[in-house]
Amino acid sequence: MKNNFTVILCFIIKLVLGITFVYASWHKIEDPAEFAKILYGYALFPGFVINILAIVIPFVELVAGFSLMMGLFPRSAVLILNGLLLGFILVIGFNLLRGHQFDCGCFSLASQTSTASNISYLIRDGLLLIAGIYFYKASATAS
Amino acid sequence: MVKNDLKGCFILIAVAVISAFLFNQFSPFGIAVFGQWETSKGVVSAGSKTQSLNASIEINHPDIIKQIVEKKQRIILDVRPTETYNQGHLPGALSFPLMDFDQMVEQLLTSIKKASPILVYCSSVECTDSHTFAERLKNMKYENVKVFSGGFRQWEEKGFNIEKNEE
Repeated sequence: MKNNFTVILCFIIKLVLGITFVYASWHKIEDPAEFAKILYGYALFPGFVINILAIVIPFVELVAGFSLMMGLFPRSAVLILNGLLLGFILVIGFNLLRGHQFDCGCFSLASQTSTASNISYLIRDGLLLIAGIYFYKASATAS
Repeated sequence: MVKNDLKGCFILIAVAVISAFLFNQFSPFGIAVFGQWETSKGVVSAGSKTQSLNASIEINHPDIIKQIVEKKQRIILDVRPTETYNQGHLPGALSFPLMDFDQMVEQLLTSIKKASPILVYCSSVECTDSHTFAERLKNMKYENVKVFSGGFRQWEEKGFNIEKNEE
């Protein structure tokens, strides 16, 4: 790495990104049916891929997040996480732009997400993506 | 370096995909590989590995529901939260929120006979609460339970009569 500042920053990014994704994957793994319904609610995915995405995405988050924290294929892990973040930003952003909100009105599903919370998710994901890109670029200069 | 990164991505994604399907296979919360997401076919859900929603108890035609309501052919149960019920519900529907099932089960048993024809509905075709409620009724030996798959949203969209409770 170029200097101590970069080393420390990359270490922090590694921890923050890793913990965020491992934590985020957990409730989706616990309740894939609910996650599938959230994916359906975005009204962007064809029916035949919804369950497959609901089964696979949480494990991609878990494996990449864990791998990044442990330092196993860290550049590959951060590349995957950056891809996921970009995907989340596009999906949330597209639905915000077209004013689409999903509310099944069900007792069993979490309450409707508001425009304000969607914007906060966008900002959060944007910041994480910037951090992820920084990590990828900084680690390329490592000797 | 990029080539190595892509190779790493492939390995990590392969590990994730294999783990995901293995976990889904053995988890009690696992879902079917393909769900039922077509609203034209009734209530949508991911479905479990072993059983999907019982589509045979669904009534998927709002005009038939209208007839049932007008001729009082079935006891209608609204399983949405009370506040939502108060804002508008099918005429003659009784409020039995799914979330209050345990507290209201005694009242349900005393007020509705086991042989009574029952129709359950919730918010919309995207809501599975009516099926959950119907399944519980079935387990309590209620013999004749149907689900209005379109739920309150479809009733409202059809412009049918809505009853409101003033608070």
